[in-house]
Amino acid sequence: MFTTKRRNLLATIGAFALIFGAAPASAQPLEEKLVIVTSFSRDVTGPFVAAFQKLHPGTKVEIQSRSTTAGVSFIRETRSNPPDMFWASAPDAFEVLKKGSLLQKYKPSATGIAERVGPSPVNDPEGFYFGFAASGYGIMYNTRYVRANSLPIPKEWDDLKKPEFFGHVGISAPSRSGTTHLTVETILQGEGWDKGWASLLEIGGNFASVSDRSFGVPDAVNSGQYGVGIVIDFFGLSAKASGFPVEFVYPSVTTIVPANIGIVAGAKNGNAAKAFVEFLLSDEGQTLLLDPKIQRLPVRLSVYDKAPAGYPNPFKNASLGSRVNFNNDVSEVRYELLNSLFDRLITFRLKELTEAWKSIHAATAAVSKSRSAEGQKLLANARKLASSAPITEAQAKDPQIAGSFQEKRPDKPVAARQAEFEEQWDAFARRNYAEAKSLAEQAARAR
Amino acid sequence: MSGVEIERVSFGYGGAPILDDVSLNVAKGEFFAFLGPSGSGKTTLLRLVAGFGMPSSGTIRVGARDVTLVPPWKRNVGMVFQSYALWPHMTVEANVAFGLEQRGLPRAEIGGKVRRGLELVGLSQLAERRPAQLSGGQQQRVALARTLVVEPEVLLLDEPLSNLDAKLRVEMRHEISALQRKLGLTTIYVTHDQEEANSVADRIAVLDGGRIQQVGTPVELYDRPANRFVATFLGTANILEGHVTGRQFQSGGISIPDIDRADGPAAMAFRPQDAQIAPPDGPGFGGTIARREFLGGTIRYSIAAGTHMIVVDVPHHRNASALEIGTPVSVMIEPARFVTLAG
Amino acid sequence: MTDVAVQPAPVRRTPYLARWAATPFHIGCAALIAAYLVAFLIVPVASVVFVAFWDGSGFTLVNFADFFRTSIMIESAWNSIYVGLMTVALASAIAVPLAYFTVRFRFRGAAIIQTLGVVPLVMPPFVGAVAMQLVFGKNGSINLLLMDAFGFRIPFMDGLNGVIFVEALHYFPFILLNLSASLANIDSAMEESAQNLGASGWRLFSRIVFPLALPGYVAGAALVFAKVFDDLATPLLLNVTNMLAPQAYLRVTSVGIADPMGYVISTILVVLSVMAVWLSLLALKNREFATQQRGGGGLSKREISRGERIAAYGFILAALFLALSPHIGILLLSVGTIWSFSVLPDGFTLAHYTTIFREAGGFMSNTILYCAIAALIDVVLGAMIAYLAMRTRLPGRHLLDQIAMAAVAVPGLVLGIGILRTYFPVDLPFGAGSLATFWLMLAIAYSVRRLPYALRSCSAALQQLHQSLEEAAENLGASKSTTLMRIVVPLMAGGILAGFVTSFATAAVELSATLLLVTRDANAPLSYGIYVYMQSPAGRGPGAALGVVAVVVVAIATWLSFRVAERDRAKRTRSGMAI
Repeated sequence: MFTTKRRNLLATIGAFALIFGAAPASAQPLEEKLVIVTSFSRDVTGPFVAAFQKLHPGTKVEIQSRSTTAGVSFIRETRSNPPDMFWASAPDAFEVLKKGSLLQKYKPSATGIAERVGPSPVNDPEGFYFGFAASGYGIMYNTRYVRANSLPIPKEWDDLKKPEFFGHVGISAPSRSGTTHLTVETILQGEGWDKGWASLLEIGGNFASVSDRSFGVPDAVNSGQYGVGIVIDFFGLSAKASGFPVEFVYPSVTTIVPANIGIVAGAKNGNAAKAFVEFLLSDEGQTLLLDPKIQRLPVRLSVYDKAPAGYPNPFKNASLGSRVNFNNDVSEVRYELLNSLFDRLITFRLKELTEAWKSIHAATAAVSKSRSAEGQKLLANARKLASSAPITEAQAKDPQIAGSFQEKRPDKPVAARQAEFEEQWDAFARRNYAEAKSLAEQAARAR
Repeated sequence: MSGVEIERVSFGYGGAPILDDVSLNVAKGEFFAFLGPSGSGKTTLLRLVAGFGMPSSGTIRVGARDVTLVPPWKRNVGMVFQSYALWPHMTVEANVAFGLEQRGLPRAEIGGKVRRGLELVGLSQLAERRPAQLSGGQQQRVALARTLVVEPEVLLLDEPLSNLDAKLRVEMRHEISALQRKLGLTTIYVTHDQEEANSVADRIAVLDGGRIQQVGTPVELYDRPANRFVATFLGTANILEGHVTGRQFQSGGISIPDIDRADGPAAMAFRPQDAQIAPPDGPGFGGTIARREFLGGTIRYSIAAGTHMIVVDVPHHRNASALEIGTPVSVMIEPARFVTLAG
Repeated sequence: MTDVAVQPAPVRRTPYLARWAATPFHIGCAALIAAYLVAFLIVPVASVVFVAFWDGSGFTLVNFADFFRTSIMIESAWNSIYVGLMTVALASAIAVPLAYFTVRFRFRGAAIIQTLGVVPLVMPPFVGAVAMQLVFGKNGSINLLLMDAFGFRIPFMDGLNGVIFVEALHYFPFILLNLSASLANIDSAMEESAQNLGASGWRLFSRIVFPLALPGYVAGAALVFAKVFDDLATPLLLNVTNMLAPQAYLRVTSVGIADPMGYVISTILVVLSVMAVWLSLLALKNREFATQQRGGGGLSKREISRGERIAAYGFILAALFLALSPHIGILLLSVGTIWSFSVLPDGFTLAHYTTIFREAGGFMSNTILYCAIAALIDVVLGAMIAYLAMRTRLPGRHLLDQIAMAAVAVPGLVLGIGILRTYFPVDLPFGAGSLATFWLMLAIAYSVRRLPYALRSCSAALQQLHQSLEEAAENLGASKSTTLMRIVVPLMAGGILAGFVTSFATAAVELSATLLLVTRDANAPLSYGIYVYMQSPAGRGPGAALGVVAVVVVAIATWLSFRVAERDRAKRTRSGMAI
């Protein structure tokens, strides 16, 4: 009963928005208030809000800081009286909102904005959310830590597989961080499912920890808890700008994705919201992105002329993100499944995984000395066990399987419940890692 | 001031009842005692009169008023607790003033009453102290003063002397008794000490197992105990259980003639001082001195007779010689001194 | 001969209300509490948890069956129980001696120990985690020093043992506070009589003193267990995910997953926590703990000998240093410039404080306001529930107690979502917005989450209060409510204060529900401010500075309340005679 009422209300608001929302923003007076839910830090939001309020003195911007997940929950739960805008990095969060009919359409009037960045379009093709800046994924490292532990400088994902990085690498779980999810998906699409998982699991063998929030990784690298983190560029760049002894590199397999803003369905301050979108895309707004504490890649091409030398430019630098042709549809189908699979194979079995790889690394060293054929065979098997996924790419996109991880719908039958798949995968991971460990130990002893 | 009527009161929910169909009347101005061993239900009964706990059935009246369902604070029944229950965070004065404040008396009047109350128990100089700074006897008096100043219709005392030393206990006993007579206050006094009950009470109700065993004056209870329990709980009694056959009572090798009772099983009791010791082969039944205790005014002999051990008190005078252990004697009792027990 | 009534008078049955030993006032209170709990705990939580029993079209238990068929869940459950029990043991080893020293010896610094003893509870979110890693982490100050000097590390923060270490340092104050309150209520005669019978030292403590203080200890230990069981911040900080609370959290909070397992785990968490508390109550059942008529007075304090002083101070300093090192870390972080892979920050500055006093003044006043309201609600409800449960026979009184305790196991996020779901459609008059996002709702959410702390403290205090003290007041004409206000509450003051402080202190750093319910910066409390700052590298310093402010606010509040309690206690004891 609750939900019906809410839906009616929503429909009314929606209709209202349809009638009046189509008119260009500039023709309407702005409301006195604009409420924005964002996952961005104060360092990012502050300069934009200040500049916007200077431009529109009649409008007071209220920022509500929430993590991306809490923000989505909040908007979902407050349909009857929602905030005006959602402003965050992870495009998938916007997808979730869009599917829940929680965003409203708008067509920004700004010109000179890139159509695509990296593999994806800047704006949602259906017009529900808009990219205002681009970000790429890469490797961040603590220079003091790297020096103290005599580590090589990491440049590519493959560098992170090296035994010398054992226990020095950190990542956040893709289920917890939209940005990491994209990184993982990029690696899987770039290298292919099986090879991608092999890479992820091998890098995973070097993980010191899997954090439950995006910012946990740069935090840990900044404080030297571990040396190397897999993060989105602005975490690394802004930390460096704040004076931390860290560096950031883009590996060649990466993707550049837009950070977004969208207008919430039923927003009460629609005109101000539209004006804010226009401001973000304007020359003034885009230039703010170059601020060392913000450090994001503008989507307005002309702004790069003002950027300091060496500022990454995805529209010029062909190597940035171009190697992967990121397929959104593939990503979307297996979105939830991938999160769960990563957790089963890596997050929840990190101890077992790292123990297996520790043994493999030791065995590799031993076998290269002993040159035992038996040892090499055992080692190859161990590697295979410690780097394979329980399901194939075809299975991952099978709606009978992937559907188990999505909201239950009577019209979408599934093969088994999520919990049943998860138990199978968990058993698979434990068995494989234990076996890999014992094979590697045998290999090390083989003569 | 009023009497207290307890009518068919039972207490206890589930399991064995703590009080089982108890009825009794306490007359106006009477000093009444509930006497019984621990677990007899005497304190529970007192607490029901005060309103702590509700009987599962039955009625309690104070004066003409049915108070069964009246909460404790509306009963005007003053209670002195075994632990005194003085509030540690208040001074003596504040403790005593508390009840008066609850009655909404004007400040000045409260001050006067508190002063008189403390005078009554002789503690005027300790008004500013806190309970923790008082001796046990002083605490007892404060508790008494606190209860008396509100001028309750009935005064309830729950083992009030059990936390005091022996000398103080006797002193306080007299003091309470005198105070009660002075104020003419209906008072119920709970104790397990028969001497205490005998000393202060006009009448006593003996309780055991949640039932009233007997109600009466101390002398009645002593001289005419209704049953074995009362006979032994109040003072020492020799109890012989056996059969009457043709006016002859037989029990464990003892035979007593001239018993005015129909044939059948019977229990006969007599007090130690109601028997006399005679030389062997005299009237009465024979036995041997097994033990001798000197109690001051009397000498108590335990005499093995048949399967029984009979206790006999003999008054002691200066220079009187005592019987040696092992001496054969005969024990003689006047038939009128026997009490026949029920049940 | 006797007055035994002979006429067969009809026996009158006593109505139920009277048998419950309850007045309309009690029933009113009970109804009020029940309404509060239903409105702000049960309905919101049920609106979220029902997902666990929903298969898309109807009721199902298959999700629970899945829980028991999933090996990682079983493993997590055992890990959680293990960590809970071991934490209680380790926390006891820290808290019991501290509590004993402060009540036994005439220490100059007893107030300071008591105050510092509460501070570990106040671990500001995020910044606390960063500080812990900076101090105890694999490359934290201590390990860097060890590495330099001796070439080895101690894995303080590794795996389950790391969780136990951090949790024990974090939560031992629960035992310290409750046990101290209990010890302070023991009648000195109890101890003296044991000494008189030849008991002294360890025997006196283990046979007499500790058993008498058991209600406080068990209350504290049960809280620690339930708290650790439910705590997700620490395992997540250490990246330990194979425990129930983090499993539930990770599942409930992931975007786009309509996974019922998170709610299944939440339900199981609630049930297990309630069971833990229930078992602890069962253990205390049928024991008489009430102190005698003198209303406590506490152990006799004595001068400490030289040797004892050295040992005691050594222990206290070591324990406090361990417990406070994260706070020292936060302090350093707040005055440091860059702190990365080094024992101490590179340089020092006060700029972060300037920043927060310029930008974040409102956070502090909001925190004090919300937490004071929440703590006030908690002690009022806590004292009322404890009273109803122990002093009346009202049907359902234990249920009230248990429901209130169950709040300890409700994840803040679940409560937050539930409150939004339930109250967002309710609009306040005068266009003040939605009820769910009204600032008072934040205080209410805090009060629900922290109610168990206040409730346990109040219960322990009431358990030690001899009932005759109340009966004496009623007997003298004081109604139940007057008795409550004039006798019960003043005598429970210590326990109530302890409850207030714990509720206040822990609410000050509550984050998960805060993040969902705060809608305007102007209404936001400190924890939100810390969160906002800690999302960027440049905000680490100001975030830490806010954390320091939170800790200082709580420390001052605790110290003040301790002073009040101590003065009150002095009046009641014999030693007060000299004053």
